[in-house]
Amino acid sequence: MVHALSEIHRVLIPNGILIDLRPLLSRWEVEVASARETRLTGRVNDFEVGLRDDAAANRSMAESESNGWFIREREVFFPYVYSWDSPHEMEEWIDEEWNDFIGLDEEAQRATRSAWALSDGDARAQLRMKMLIGRWRRG
Amino acid sequence: MTIQKDTEGNEKKLLHEFADFSNRCVLEIGSGEGRLTWQYAGASSLTVGLDSDHDALRVASIDAPHDRKHKIHFVHSEAEHLPFSKETFDIAILAWSL
Repeated sequence: MVHALSEIHRVLIPNGILIDLRPLLSRWEVEVASARETRLTGRVNDFEVGLRDDAAANRSMAESESNGWFIREREVFFPYVYSWDSPHEMEEWIDEEWNDFIGLDEEAQRATRSAWALSDGDARAQLRMKMLIGRWRRG
Repeated sequence: MTIQKDTEGNEKKLLHEFADFSNRCVLEIGSGEGRLTWQYAGASSLTVGLDSDHDALRVASIDAPHDRKHKIHFVHSEAEHLPFSKETFDIAILAWSL
């Protein structure tokens, strides 16, 4: 990661801007949402490998700041929503794409399926992720 | 499977708050299939999307909006070895890739 940041520093013009945009694990909320309401049905579990990745990314940015490559200008956390037609599709996606770093326990699965089954016809299953966007100026 | 991403539009809104892409030369690291690229590349003078995934880059090349194709280029490479001269880009984006 630090080597990649060194390369980015090299190819940016003096005073160029680096945008760091990425999700951060924080037991993202699972929801069932319809036009009428959004209901929280549980939270995902964060796995160790994902938490380690987040920590490593944070360390790399801190290191690039301490050695003068980049100057931190602004950071904001914001929600980013992934939405599926059904809880089954959400579970499939988590199993296939994100199984290294998050999981959904049985209780959250049951609550989400139940809320979805009892909700309006337009209801969707969704994950509310925590995102970071940071602006850094090339030093 | 129908999946919708960033249904509240926060990512696009904040990206444009954090950087002015007008007539800028932009490098996006981890551009994947171009989902984020299409959000700002229209304003840039040139955008280079870089990814190590051949298949994703192929999808991005096919999906590139016709009116922006002339200023978007996709490159297969690792972020640790950027195939560009020094001081080439005004803005770099680490797109879900750090």
